[in-house]
Amino acid sequence: MPRKAVIAGIGHTVFGRLEGRSVRDLEIEAIRMAVADAGFARADIDGLITDPGPAQPVIEGIEPHYLGLGRQLGIDPDFVGTEVLGGASSVSSVQRAVMAIEAGLCSVCLCVYGDTALSASGSFSYGRGAEAVFGFFGATGLHALAAQRHMARYGTRPEHLAEVAMAARANALRTPHAQLKRPLDLDGYLASRMLAEPLRRADCCLISDGAAAVVVCAADRLADLATPAINVLAMGQAHSLSTIANADHFDQTPAARCGPATLARAGITAADVDVALLYDCFTIVVLMQLEAYGFCQPGESGPFVTGGRIAPGGELALNPTGGLMAEGYGGGMLHVIEAVRQLRGTAGARQIAGARLALVSGHGLGMNTHASLVLGG
Amino acid sequence: MNDTSGTIAESAADPFLDASREGRLLAAECRACLHLFLPFGPVCPRCWSINIGQRELSGAGEVATFTVYRQSYHPDFSVPYVLALIALVEGPRMISNVIDCAPELVRIGMPVTVRFVPRGDLVLPLFAPDSSPTRNPEPQGENP
Ligand SMILES: [Zn+2]
Repeated sequence: MPRKAVIAGIGHTVFGRLEGRSVRDLEIEAIRMAVADAGFARADIDGLITDPGPAQPVIEGIEPHYLGLGRQLGIDPDFVGTEVLGGASSVSSVQRAVMAIEAGLCSVCLCVYGDTALSASGSFSYGRGAEAVFGFFGATGLHALAAQRHMARYGTRPEHLAEVAMAARANALRTPHAQLKRPLDLDGYLASRMLAEPLRRADCCLISDGAAAVVVCAADRLADLATPAINVLAMGQAHSLSTIANADHFDQTPAARCGPATLARAGITAADVDVALLYDCFTIVVLMQLEAYGFCQPGESGPFVTGGRIAPGGELALNPTGGLMAEGYGGGMLHVIEAVRQLRGTAGARQIAGARLALVSGHGLGMNTHASLVLGG
Repeated sequence: MNDTSGTIAESAADPFLDASREGRLLAAECRACLHLFLPFGPVCPRCWSINIGQRELSGAGEVATFTVYRQSYHPDFSVPYVLALIALVEGPRMISNVIDCAPELVRIGMPVTVRFVPRGDLVLPLFAPDSSPTRNPEPQGENP
């Protein structure tokens, strides 16, 4: 008899600069909250999937990330994994939990993101492979190549990118735990320091310390649950590994394939989505996803977001917390958590009235990976 | 993490960089389907043939996309500089720099030609505009 998996619990630490706290300490705080939120106890957990943040090693020596965390938790689960899809890893960790539960491999699975990227030493200005000899550094320069294409092909302007950044900052003002609660206007955006044209500091997500966890469980465990479960209506992934050899690599992300396929599996279109939690590492990535998922036509995301249409109270409820740009960099797990809160109706001042369908996306690496979830209350 | 040393060492064995040292721009050529590709590798990414040869390219191409770095991420690269994706006329695409051109005049679609420029222990194929870019700049898109 096939089992159905649901999202049963959520938990996260504060996000920001958390000097003196280890990533393990943060992960465990988030896990304890999520397990309690779901009404489970330590003994119920039989699955563990980890999503180590950008400053965390996926594998240390020969020890994979889940092993270190699992040893600390003192658990002997039936299913484990560590996700390596970059920014798509939180979404894919939930997907992996759903698949493991529905295949009968485990019943109550933890998905955990954690990092101390802000207080860790070092930076994210890493060279991009062999092309570092040309000065190809960091994620900003890579996404700038896509932004420049979008501007040249469609007439997208800095003011359009600004709409995404300004909406995120405005949303964060209604998010008590947001890391960056400072409004941004167009003048402030345009005055923001240029990093790699056309992307400014204000186009980039935050760097954060913090952890976030989600509990996925078999629906036949529902009687145990403290709060109503959230249904996983559809899942999808698409990836582009051929990168620059692919003539359209900077013209679209793999969301162009993942988005329509995932929405079709849920039997919905973008117009049915009540709240969209789109991975927002850079403003341009939000614009490209609005097109990819069909919220607007290809090339029309700039005009689409103009006039506060994705700002609080706008036509499309997009990243009500402020997302990676203002709530905090939570990998993508905070996006999953906000979807759950919106569908539970517990999002407080930023609650979207009557939210029934939520879309969550993850985008990772050099625009190589994409994963999405459609969740329903 | 500001470290390029490993990647330079890794790519030093590349026939692409060996040719560049001699002032030639080289691509891998699949003997089975004639696909030209970069970077070099042991299999044709189009047909999976492992019968791979080499072909010298003209060095002509155009700017497919670019960015002007205004923030310095490495002491070897002083800003501003132009990082670009070059679409070579024979088909392969490569990341490189646009040189001999004011950054604000670089445009997508701008015709460029290879210039071999020493950088550290390497000679890198960089690209310069075919003609003075001030004469006929491609207009940036406009949208109200
Ligand atoms: Zn071939």
